[in-house]
Amino acid sequence: MRLNLRVATVVALAGLVVAACGTGGGGQQAPSGPKHGGTLRVAIGIDPDTLDPAAQTTTTSSQIVDMMAETLVTIDAKGAIQPLLATSWSQSSDGLSYTFTLRKDVTFQDGTPFNAQAVKFSIDRLLSPDTFKAQPNVLGGKTGISRVDVVDDTHVKFTLFTKLAPFVAALTQTQAAIISPASVNVAPNKPSVIARPVGTGPYKFSERVAGDHITMVANQSYWGPRSNYDTQIYKVVPEGASREALIRSGGADVIALPPANDIPALQADSSLRVILGPSDRTIQIIINTQDQAEPLLQKPEVRQALNYAVDKAAIIKNTMFGAATPLDAPMAKSLFGYCSIGTYDYNPTKAKQMLQQAGAAGMTVKLVSPTGRYVQDFQVAQAVAGYLSSAGLNVQGPSTTDWPTYVATYAQVGPAQAKTDLSLLGWAPPYLDAQQQFEQFYSPRVPPAGLESSYYKNPQVDALITEANAGTDATQRQQQYCQAAKMVWSDAPWIFLYNQKYPFVTTSAVKGVTGLPNEKFVTTWASPA
Amino acid sequence: MLTYAARRLLVAIPTLLGVATVVFLLLRLLPGDPAIVIAGPTATPEEIHNIRVQLGLTLPGWQQYLGFMVRLAHGDLGISTRTGAPVIQEISTRVPYTATLALASLVLAIALGVAAGILAARRRNTAADVAISGGAVFGVSMPTYWLGLMLIVVFAVRLRVLPAAGTDRGIESLVLPAVTLALFSMGLVARQTRSAMLEVLGQDFVRTARAKGAGRAAVLLRHALRNALLPILTTIGLQFGTLLGGAVLTETVFAWPGIGRLLVDSIGARDYPVVQGVVLLLSVSFIVINLLTDLLYAYVDPRIRYG
Repeated sequence: MRLNLRVATVVALAGLVVAACGTGGGGQQAPSGPKHGGTLRVAIGIDPDTLDPAAQTTTTSSQIVDMMAETLVTIDAKGAIQPLLATSWSQSSDGLSYTFTLRKDVTFQDGTPFNAQAVKFSIDRLLSPDTFKAQPNVLGGKTGISRVDVVDDTHVKFTLFTKLAPFVAALTQTQAAIISPASVNVAPNKPSVIARPVGTGPYKFSERVAGDHITMVANQSYWGPRSNYDTQIYKVVPEGASREALIRSGGADVIALPPANDIPALQADSSLRVILGPSDRTIQIIINTQDQAEPLLQKPEVRQALNYAVDKAAIIKNTMFGAATPLDAPMAKSLFGYCSIGTYDYNPTKAKQMLQQAGAAGMTVKLVSPTGRYVQDFQVAQAVAGYLSSAGLNVQGPSTTDWPTYVATYAQVGPAQAKTDLSLLGWAPPYLDAQQQFEQFYSPRVPPAGLESSYYKNPQVDALITEANAGTDATQRQQQYCQAAKMVWSDAPWIFLYNQKYPFVTTSAVKGVTGLPNEKFVTTWASPA
Repeated sequence: MLTYAARRLLVAIPTLLGVATVVFLLLRLLPGDPAIVIAGPTATPEEIHNIRVQLGLTLPGWQQYLGFMVRLAHGDLGISTRTGAPVIQEISTRVPYTATLALASLVLAIALGVAAGILAARRRNTAADVAISGGAVFGVSMPTYWLGLMLIVVFAVRLRVLPAAGTDRGIESLVLPAVTLALFSMGLVARQTRSAMLEVLGQDFVRTARAKGAGRAAVLLRHALRNALLPILTTIGLQFGTLLGGAVLTETVFAWPGIGRLLVDSIGARDYPVVQGVVLLLSVSFIVINLLTDLLYAYVDPRIRYG
């Protein structure tokens, strides 16, 4: 009997002992590093909804499509526009049409030649209402592309309804990728839905098991430099801690988004490399600038006070574990149109003083935040609530809901139906032009016509944005955006928090995984270290 | 018995129609417009409208409902709004994963749970009994999420004997999720077996069996267990639901591409057709499992007859 008890105790403790022993001896067995020509295993957090280029909405899914299907133009590591399938382009004098010269001697992965017809086919498909969930964005609608014309085999001309300054930038989006016209009729593809993209990219679609993995193999006849890995497998691992376990146990070579609170520990591990990739995503607390429940928030000085009340640097250090940079403008530095404006340095005394003067001391504000949509989102909202309380406000929340409910309840409602005073939101322009960031400060985008959920309205800012969005002179556009940004900054429709980074981890056996400013991490050109 | 089974299945039809209706209504009561969720933050109003047309969301509610029911009657569950593939295809690629996981867990839970329960009853109030009962409480109370991660840390990260997540290593990949999922049910089955056995072991026929010289194993298994089996069977039948529920978390932690994760992803994307399909499938499985459990009663206990 006594023996049994002892045995039971020993068994029960075995796991703990094993775990404890492992702490010292961990990593005695090197992770099985991939060999040249071998396989790269990447673990991502979401299961791509679709691999149809035309229907892309998320960067993680887009970066996979990017490996198989290429766009006419792309961005480099600094965010500058670079040729890809097009070699050059020119704008007509009226600013309404663009002619692209295409790369010669490129073939699709199914052998179909790449030419102007294929470009027209792909863009027409993007604009077609029959394409399932097509996401033409600014390229579509009444203001986007009106027609695509084949000039000759290597020249294609786009004509727009209205002038759109960032048109070429918008063509860097994965939705504008060029696919083989023949491939849409090869099952399981249909003209309306593509499950297996056939493009011109350095990797070819090989296999997909829904919810589990996507396998791509090197395209041996790629027109550009050859990729290093013969095979790349993107595994879907929704839980961050599981992805971390996977790379620590040798089951993955690259993982996206480790749990933020483990970033310091991962950085200390010499067998791993933590890369805080760039992103153009700003994270902010949206202030209801037409607030009826708390009309004091309609005053710019009150909103400025809220900006002074929050210690952004401390939040970045303690809650974001360094995976962010403070904002010094209402947009990320990588956008065209950015200029440095200043900072609302943490100053609780000043904040209290300003609130006192505005008669806003002790006012009640409701704060909401999504959970798990952005890195540490809810935790950051909790920290913000703490700072606002310290400034003497009566903060209700943060409360949270799932994302679809959040969008429907707080972001997509007009000023009359507003249900909160403050809401945490991230905004990541799909291409690196201030035009996309200013969708957040442009009053024609007040919901339901857009997601400008601060309801901010400044006629001068609106006029500057309208002009800059259609401008043809880059220097002038830059100045107009900069001027508008300065007004936005002082009107403070947001508590400007930070520009999020996009953390990913590779083993030290892998090099060449790079982050792009549009929040993609590119494994295409990775190689064994 | 066949007529009984047939009648039960017939009665299940209105139940399923009710489930379909309730799911349809509940989904539409949820806040969150599928078109907006699908289109993403930077979509233009025209784009959102086009998606709404494609998904049939511009039709009045009653027309959507009728369309759904008519298609359902034809065995058509519609098209996934998240992926554009038929719902049947989305579900059928996931079912084998969940079925494998649930079955493996159930086998583990039954084999170890019943054995541990018998042992605990046989050695009542000994250290073994205390250890087993304690273990059962542990299994029942541990949150699946935490337990799964702990197992991953020990067996995948430290010992490196099993994969941390995924499905790419066959049976090795199955071990940790199956154990994680099984522990809760195992605990319940062990506790139920122990108490049912204790009740039976004190009865006269057991003493008689011993007195007539039946061996220890024969007394335990043939006489006692057989009589204690009914409540155990009920517990096991009910565990099926628990397993499917637990599968949602287990599948997430272990990146197991089953029905549970499909359901979570689909709710997150407001993919009405897939959610409806999965809930219907789960309802059918519940009905079938309950029926099987009831039929097994008659097999285990000849006194029970269904006419």
